[in-house]
Amino acid sequence: MRQILVRLPLRSLFTRALFAAFSALPFAAPSLAGPMEDAEAIIAAHKAMPAFTAPGEAFDARACMKDKKMFVIPLTMTNPFNVQVSKAMEEAAATVGFPLTNWDNQLKVDQWIQGMAQATADGYALIDLQGGIPPEALMPQIAAAREKGIKVTTTHLYDVTQEKSDSLDASARTNYSQAGKILAAWAFKKTEGKPNVVIIGSDEIIPTAPFVKSIQETLAALCPDCKQKYVNVPVPEWGTKIQSSVQSALVADPGINFILPIYDSMSQFVVPALRLTGRAGLVKIASYNGTPFVIDMVRTGEVDMNIGESLGWVGYAAIDVNMRALCGLPPVENLNSPLYIFDAENAATAGVPATFNDGYGDSHIAGFKALWGIE
Amino acid sequence: MTAVETASPPPAADGSGFSIKAFAERFGLLGAWAGVIVLFGAINPDAYLTWINFSTMFSSQAILVVLTLGLLIPLTAGDFDLSVASTMVLSAMMVAVLNALNGWPLVHTLVVVVLTGALIGVVNGVFVLYFRIHSLIVTLGTGTFINGVVLWISGSQTIGGVSMDLVNWVIVYRIGGISLSFYYALILCAALWYFMEFTSPGRRLLFVGRGRDVARLSGIAVDHVRLLSFVAAGVTSSFAGILYAGMTGSADPLSGLTYLLPAFAAAFLGATSIVPGRFNPWGSFVAVYFLVSGITGLTILGVDTFVQNLFYGGGLVIAVALSQLVRKRQPQSFS
Repeated sequence: MRQILVRLPLRSLFTRALFAAFSALPFAAPSLAGPMEDAEAIIAAHKAMPAFTAPGEAFDARACMKDKKMFVIPLTMTNPFNVQVSKAMEEAAATVGFPLTNWDNQLKVDQWIQGMAQATADGYALIDLQGGIPPEALMPQIAAAREKGIKVTTTHLYDVTQEKSDSLDASARTNYSQAGKILAAWAFKKTEGKPNVVIIGSDEIIPTAPFVKSIQETLAALCPDCKQKYVNVPVPEWGTKIQSSVQSALVADPGINFILPIYDSMSQFVVPALRLTGRAGLVKIASYNGTPFVIDMVRTGEVDMNIGESLGWVGYAAIDVNMRALCGLPPVENLNSPLYIFDAENAATAGVPATFNDGYGDSHIAGFKALWGIE
Repeated sequence: MTAVETASPPPAADGSGFSIKAFAERFGLLGAWAGVIVLFGAINPDAYLTWINFSTMFSSQAILVVLTLGLLIPLTAGDFDLSVASTMVLSAMMVAVLNALNGWPLVHTLVVVVLTGALIGVVNGVFVLYFRIHSLIVTLGTGTFINGVVLWISGSQTIGGVSMDLVNWVIVYRIGGISLSFYYALILCAALWYFMEFTSPGRRLLFVGRGRDVARLSGIAVDHVRLLSFVAAGVTSSFAGILYAGMTGSADPLSGLTYLLPAFAAAFLGATSIVPGRFNPWGSFVAVYFLVSGITGLTILGVDTFVQNLFYGGGLVIAVALSQLVRKRQPQSFS
């Protein structure tokens, strides 16, 4: 189980107001501009340097959070994604000036239960299940916490098309669907409107279904006659089955010209499949997550494009959502964190080697501080 | 009493040296492999019966072959080594950390990695032999310890940027359309087969596995042989790790661990063929490619991933069960 989920690249996509209207583009009803223009518009919106947009009304965070403390249970502290988000949440909490505890664990349910019990007993105001813990795994503990008046939230779990569990007080949804549209648009544009795509996903990850559906529907809308195939590879089998699945797909259909592994850590197993079948450079890879080593692969040309998001930004946005839940403010339905495209032109801006936070700018720090009445 | 034992090879029924049953058992898996190829070739000849399909199958499974060969050595000596996959992952990660992150020359990196594999074998052997702890427990512990080391040195991250020289010598350079990784595995398999069948140390390894007390009474330095078998497993696993890093051009801290069970499956399935009743390199080699041939056929047909698991697990159990029927259900002891 640990091996399964430690690798979960639950790098969710968060909507921003900037892109909200764009996200709602009805691809089932193609625009008058034509599919190539539609695809280019999607891409262009996410090639721009992310700029901060307030997710809700401003409030006095320090006054609201006085005498309150927050408890964060990451999916696992062996996954750098969760570690970086937790660090950013700690930084944001320190900026506001309230205590935040990160519960160190290694993806074990008993450790999550232990954390829930400790937070419930120690008078925390809110427990955040960060980065992929399904609330269904902790229903009795969540009920016990809420009975004591503790708010329970999740960060980075649901897609914008999914409803949160009733057991939660808040859960800012993340925009995997938009990432799906970007991937489909990228494949469409880069193949000059003739994509023949293999999509690779892992069905057991909660947002995979809407993510994949978004790719499939966008491709179908842009190019109804183009071929697409979906391959499900469970997370624990990435190391042994992605490569063989891609090889077999390429052997079965030599016309395939794009591979879309929806979580970018899958890419390391796609690259050798392309090399072994002699298709490296001919078949392109595009993915989502912004994991540093994959951005490095974009820089070196092994991967064509990677959609990233600043984990520092994610951490601040998560704290914003949680504080609003504690302060009785209207909830933020979708997490405020932008998607940003890295390709050969700008991959080096993420650092050499790439990092989780470079390349996105830091407008979120000043933006959130102003929103929270700090400075 | 040995720790790992398969039943003795059945003698020819008439004592003349040839038995149809023995022949069927020896080459049954090869026949099954051929059957799988014929089956999927008939269903989808345009995709399955292509050289690119077979060359990718041969190339991509070299890592599993090498890891299985590493596992075979302590199994033959009667010991389990559950740390082989962890050693492989550590080796791949060391290649990435030393070469890609710290800029070490590739040759220096590979030497240090192989020496580390040998050291892991020594540690396993010392704990098993000096403290008299079962190899299952020791290698479970060292494997878990190594997993922690990998997470530590990697910062739990995948590290890319491994030297293209290594990538070229593993996956890019080809002979007859097949990557060099396959030939490394093939050479290692042949060398291990020669060692086990035609050298005195190899026969001693077998004797130790068959009966430690008898081997000891025969003058064989049993502990010495067992220690060296762990060292050989560590070195071979390190080599598998080098191939793994060369295959992907990167290293990640976890995915390689999933090779452990397929390696055991190939070792035990291989013990039913070529030299039935004994862990043997060619049997394992055939087992790996029998399984991958079936899985590739299913994948080309577009079946769901779970069907691959059904084939892998079902194929293993059914093949071993048929082998047992041929040998009239002689007991297999894994005491």
